[in-house]
Amino acid sequence: MIEARLYDGVTAHPHDVRVNVVGDALQLTQDDWADSVGAALLKRIDGGGGSTLRLGRTDLPGWRLVLPVGADDELKPLLGREDKYGRWIDRIGLVPALITGGIITASVVAIGYLAPHWIAPHVPMSWERNVGGAIVGDFGDLRCRDAKGQQALEALVERVAPGATKGPTGIKVAALDVRMFNAAALPGGYIVVFKPAITETNSEALAGVLAHEVAHVRRRHVTESLIRELGIGALIRLFAGNVGANADQIVSLSYTSSNEAQADSDAIEMLERANIDPRPTAQLFQRLSKEAPEFSAAFLRSHPLSASRALNFAKSFDPQARYQPALSRDQGDALFDICRKLQ
Amino acid sequence: MDAFAAAPAAEGDRAIRFTGSWREYLPIAATNALLIICTLGIYRFWAAARQRRYLWSRTEFIDDSLEWTGTGKEMFFGFLIVVCVLAPFFLFFQFLFPALIARGKADAAFGIFTLFYIALIYLGGFARFRALRYRLSRTYWHGIRGGSDDPGWNYGGEYLGRIALSAMTMFIVFPWAATRLWNSRWNAMSFGPLQFKASLDAEGLKLRWALIYLVPMGAAALSAILFIGILGLGNHQVGSGPMAGLGVMFLVVILLFYIGIPLMTLNWYAAYYRKAASVTSLGELEFGFDATTLQWLGLFLGNLALAVVTLGFGLTYWGYRNWAFMVRHLHVYGHVDVSQMTQSTTHAPREAEGFADAFDVGAI
Repeated sequence: MIEARLYDGVTAHPHDVRVNVVGDALQLTQDDWADSVGAALLKRIDGGGGSTLRLGRTDLPGWRLVLPVGADDELKPLLGREDKYGRWIDRIGLVPALITGGIITASVVAIGYLAPHWIAPHVPMSWERNVGGAIVGDFGDLRCRDAKGQQALEALVERVAPGATKGPTGIKVAALDVRMFNAAALPGGYIVVFKPAITETNSEALAGVLAHEVAHVRRRHVTESLIRELGIGALIRLFAGNVGANADQIVSLSYTSSNEAQADSDAIEMLERANIDPRPTAQLFQRLSKEAPEFSAAFLRSHPLSASRALNFAKSFDPQARYQPALSRDQGDALFDICRKLQ
Repeated sequence: MDAFAAAPAAEGDRAIRFTGSWREYLPIAATNALLIICTLGIYRFWAAARQRRYLWSRTEFIDDSLEWTGTGKEMFFGFLIVVCVLAPFFLFFQFLFPALIARGKADAAFGIFTLFYIALIYLGGFARFRALRYRLSRTYWHGIRGGSDDPGWNYGGEYLGRIALSAMTMFIVFPWAATRLWNSRWNAMSFGPLQFKASLDAEGLKLRWALIYLVPMGAAALSAILFIGILGLGNHQVGSGPMAGLGVMFLVVILLFYIGIPLMTLNWYAAYYRKAASVTSLGELEFGFDATTLQWLGLFLGNLALAVVTLGFGLTYWGYRNWAFMVRHLHVYGHVDVSQMTQSTTHAPREAEGFADAFDVGAI
């Protein structure tokens, strides 16, 4: 027999009762009153500062039986397990829950990291066209419009990637009169080249840079990095034709290092197929990484250069090959003057 | 007899006491933190329920502890409801608003923006009411719970109106709004058969509120005087002396401005809660709250320091520390007739305080 305190849930008045375990029920008695509660109706309640055991009933919300903590052993067979961490955790146990949860969390993080790579190829290029066009349009008068120069620039793209500028989803390339070394792939298959990348390189090195950007476009790395940086909402914004990011942000979107490596190996292949010497590209990369930082900062930010990247281009040099110039002399001259303003 | 005397006397003999200890709470804090991390935050609701179950059970009122009966599941569902209600707001701010701006429909964009903003303030007030109602309905003592029959829709409107009025006066009349709202909130609440009664007014709180405006203004005036003084000195001195003095002075002004306003706000809230508790009653029970501005400051700085020193783990103790602080400074006077205290007949809300969670407002 155990002495206990009973609250009936009707008033706050406490009743002193005696408790006996009879079969699978609790028998409660007072001087002139008795009641029996089946074990199925009882639930354990955490509380009472650890010095008391508190029982409730599933059918009567305020009903509470407060027992001394020693009663635990006697009542144990009657009571179910204590709700500890919440039923869904208790069901599998704390440690298994932590392990399963840890694995799921890690996978979600991993999927979050990889998802842009999977989604990007399925985003219709037409969604991005307006966005890229608007960004190029934003540069306005800075765009270099010399017709012959433009032809030469497109010819250079065609030289490394035959057919790339043709068709409705063809690559559109534009030169910009901005005094900073940079070249970037934009959404919608646009590639922009800043003036110093044309005037302070030779056409072989520029061919290497363009091949690299063409690879970014073809592999949908731009869309991928857009999704990576702006979140999945980027898709809806692309569809709506307004990314909500300015030209500067888009031009300096950064790629993952594996995307960079992939674009490099594509570019090396393109140069090989086009029979263009890869060494000038290697020299350019080497030079840029040593150059005064403010000059090439933008390029380096989105295309982190390392010695190994230059080396990969250098290694692809074949001493047996009979390399051809990337552009004819006339084309080269026209390209050099692409930003010349008509007088 | 069944009447319990509940007069505050020496420590340990008080009507309401907190008996928890941080060591006893440690296993709860640690497993809660681990489970929250491993479930991408979903366990948050169950963690909150466990924390409250502990804190309530270690809060003794007269002869028995409080009991928290809310569950993680109901708080999770409360959260899901809020997500559904707030989704249109999110979609608007994320997509529709920039799209309207981009299409040159700025008038339409800001019109909808204003409407949504008003709706959010309304929901904020509603949330605050519902949180208090939910907490009372899940708090048991002697097998009796609290609650309210008021769904809180009107309170949301009153909240919106009073906040709008005080915003129009640059919050100069905020004490008036805050005290009236306290009354509306608490007068709608009950415990068992007993109705809460609150009659708070701004009397005695106005000077402290004025200080929030006066202290930064005073700091600005002081700096202007110092500035002129130093410039005057500069005419007679050579070298970096005046410039260094100017630098130090600006630092002092900035500190006064950024520390002065929060400190004065805290100073006001300390007085507000002391007064609010003293004019709120439940049946024959009266309340008192004795935390001073310095004690509040100690609580907040302690919370910050704890989080920094433990590299963030201390965050799991903020709820514990805040609750212990409230209970330790709360006094209850008068007596309860337990045989007259019948079960609450108020409707127990099914959904939890998701709204308050979403708007990040406390219940009290």
